[in-house]
Amino acid sequence: MPIRIVIALLIFSLLSSAAVQASLKLPETVKVDPAALTAEPMCDPKISPAWREAQEIDGVKIAASPGCSPDNPAWIAAAVKGTNHVSMDTLMKTGLSPDAIIKTDDLDGDGDPDRIIIKLEIMELNGKSPDFPGLVPTFDIAPGVQPGAWVFAPKTSGMSTENFESVRANPLLRLPSPVIRVEVGDIVQIVLENTHYFPHSIHLHGVDHPFSHGDHAGQDGVPQTSEVELMPGGRRVYEFQARQPGTMFYHCHVQTHTHLAMGLAGMIVVEENRPNNWLQTLNIGAGHVRHSSVAVRENFDQEYDLHYHAMDKELSDIIQKYNDPRLIARDMNQRYDITDSTEDYYTLNGLSYPYTLRESLIIVEPDQKIKLRLLNSGGESIAVHTHGHHATITHYDGVEHNPVAQIMRDVFDMAPAQRLDLKLETVNDGKHSYGEGDWLIHDHREKGITTNGMAEGGSMSSIVYKSYLHDSGLPKVNHFGIDLNKFFTKEYYERRLPVWQDLDEWSSLGSPGGQTGLSAQEQTSLLNGVIGLLIGLVIYLIFAKREQIKQSAIAAVSRLKGAKGSNQK
Amino acid sequence: MIKTTTITFLLAGILAVSSNAIAQQKTNGGAHDHSDHSGHGVNQAPAAAEKQQTEDHSGHDHSSNDQSALDHSAHDHSDTHDISAEQHIDHSAHDTSAQSAEHGDGHHHHHMDHDHIMDHEGTMIMGQNLDKLPSSCKSISEEVEITVRAGRKYSAKFPGTAFAFDQQQWHVKPCSKVTWHFVNEDNIRHQFMMHGLPKYLYKYGMFHLEVTGPKTVTGTIIVPGSDDTFLVHCDISHHMEKGMKAQLVVGKGAENIPSIPGVTPYNINDTYEAENLPKVSDKAEQSAMVRQITSFTNNNFQNYGMMLIGALIGLLCIPLLKKIPLRTKKAD
Repeated sequence: MPIRIVIALLIFSLLSSAAVQASLKLPETVKVDPAALTAEPMCDPKISPAWREAQEIDGVKIAASPGCSPDNPAWIAAAVKGTNHVSMDTLMKTGLSPDAIIKTDDLDGDGDPDRIIIKLEIMELNGKSPDFPGLVPTFDIAPGVQPGAWVFAPKTSGMSTENFESVRANPLLRLPSPVIRVEVGDIVQIVLENTHYFPHSIHLHGVDHPFSHGDHAGQDGVPQTSEVELMPGGRRVYEFQARQPGTMFYHCHVQTHTHLAMGLAGMIVVEENRPNNWLQTLNIGAGHVRHSSVAVRENFDQEYDLHYHAMDKELSDIIQKYNDPRLIARDMNQRYDITDSTEDYYTLNGLSYPYTLRESLIIVEPDQKIKLRLLNSGGESIAVHTHGHHATITHYDGVEHNPVAQIMRDVFDMAPAQRLDLKLETVNDGKHSYGEGDWLIHDHREKGITTNGMAEGGSMSSIVYKSYLHDSGLPKVNHFGIDLNKFFTKEYYERRLPVWQDLDEWSSLGSPGGQTGLSAQEQTSLLNGVIGLLIGLVIYLIFAKREQIKQSAIAAVSRLKGAKGSNQK
Repeated sequence: MIKTTTITFLLAGILAVSSNAIAQQKTNGGAHDHSDHSGHGVNQAPAAAEKQQTEDHSGHDHSSNDQSALDHSAHDHSDTHDISAEQHIDHSAHDTSAQSAEHGDGHHHHHMDHDHIMDHEGTMIMGQNLDKLPSSCKSISEEVEITVRAGRKYSAKFPGTAFAFDQQQWHVKPCSKVTWHFVNEDNIRHQFMMHGLPKYLYKYGMFHLEVTGPKTVTGTIIVPGSDDTFLVHCDISHHMEKGMKAQLVVGKGAENIPSIPGVTPYNINDTYEAENLPKVSDKAEQSAMVRQITSFTNNNFQNYGMMLIGALIGLLCIPLLKKIPLRTKKAD
């Protein structure tokens, strides 16, 4: 009997070691089925393709904008004429409050209004709700990426969401804060109506404004020098009459180290004074300027506002962690330490790649002159690289650089709050341009092309020649076998989609499946266990059958002795 | 003596608060609305309405005071009354714009269609219903006028909020015709937005008043004939989340709406922890002559403790120590 057991155990151990041999083959590659992904259309289907065409609304000429998400033409008409002059029909298509942009009084008699009132509200995006676990109102900077943010928004009318059923933000409530355009000599009132639950202010960085105004007191927006914080529910007027043109910057100066990064920062452009200069007072969402000023049209074929921004996840998470304003204030003001912070989201005109493809492409044709206005409102310097082009820096911080000393570069470094005006010439001479194509424009600090560390993301966009633009408004890339669909899924930015799985047919760099058998370590420990068991059994058997063993040993010995004896005999 | 008086004060306070709370829920019942109604009566001409409204507000305050909502008396509404009186907007006053001087532009928008009225400042009335009876009603049961005030200051009584209405719920009878006077006392936009009304009468089931303050807007609805509870809120980003939320209870009402300040709890609550904030008592201890002594003891408390433990150990060790020299002596 015992011998049989021992034999059985030996066979078992042999078999198990054979199994160890079999599982040495590595796991199979598991390919993510595209059907399992939350695929978004590459172009936002809510935006009408008719918006791309050149058109005229209420007498306002609006240039064509062939990208897939152009600005609502009604916004442009209302911004040019003022919400007080545009037709009611157009105004109803904007969602703007009828007093959002009020233009009156041609003071210098040159055919354009010179008293401009711009009303701004402050809106929260992607904040916490006490009613349900989601965020409200939502604004995606990339598929499924919803950092908490605050923005200056043009004064709107009605709901903050698209409609009662949706939690998606009203299209007027978005990153970045809108680009403001005024003319030299205009008497401008920026009226801040603080609809937010925290105190705020506006500082007009670079814009010629009086430190203090007789009717409106302090004007510099700084709670330590010129004015107290504007509390929730309050209104404050910032009035100025700029004497110098240039690309400038406006932002909240209350707890600036957090409020600026939260999104309370925008570009403000003071345009040169010209007759009949009806400006597009707001460029909502920045990007392509479809109704440029007279001065810009004199020298350029096109104009783009490019607002680079960066946000810290640790900071933007605070408004998603708490609903109580006191707790948000505590965490932002006393606990968040910007000296230990790192930026996680890099945006161009409020969005990260691939959404930058929808609305921040610089769409060009050969032999054009394009004016690019760049603002860096992030906390670190950036280095914007234009593939295939060298552009000329014409203005630093709104001031024209000596024309004979102007230089051409292909990397444009911008300190925080810095503005650069660039002249991009699409002349195929090997210097200004290397020819037609879909040329990347991106921050060359490599983290600038990531979204929370996940590439491809960040503030990357393209300078696209029309011959490389698809009818949909996106760059033509499929003729190179490129498929951008994977970027239009939230799973990609959740880091759940292997980046290279579709590069070849057998997904050589796809995701390995889980271990089917046991791992090498588990196998050895199991084997050791089996051996231990065997040794134990043997010892037990020896112990239990010690009498038998003794006797059989004696018997064997005696047999041997007997044998010897017999031999001796 | 001092202790007993404080205790009695505390007890009185607790009683007052609890009776307040109970009474406040009752306040919102019919009696209060009736007083509003009777105070308003028959006015259609805007000028009359202005005066009436001012009187109505005071009447409103008193009636609620009588019934316990003490917090109302603390607010002085007179300043906003003046403005709301001048700029009062209702359906009848709408067509003749009396505010043309304000921007000096002479261009005025007055958007009007069946259920959407908007003036040049964005004052808006949507989903108004003056005469269409809900199918569940044979006739209008009563006509009620309710004044709703909106502003940051009303959030003061609800810690952890930023905006609020002056009341968090209103009670009306089924089939009643309710005229809402929405008084925005802030310098920004606020909304009085009601959801869940019958869609055959109200587009999207909504009734909506919107106005940039300080100003008043007025609109009328006829509520359905069955018991129900309707959400009222301001839809400006995070105004509802931060306190501007209420409910209209028709008849006995239906299920309560969550996260209405002082009425219903939040569905999702924040977690709170006590913070180490500086206290006056910390400072008082460190003052004058006491300071030297106490700071010494405070700073050396640990040392003293250790010293005490050391002394105890020493005492316990005495018998052992005694034995050691004895043994050595013996050894000698």
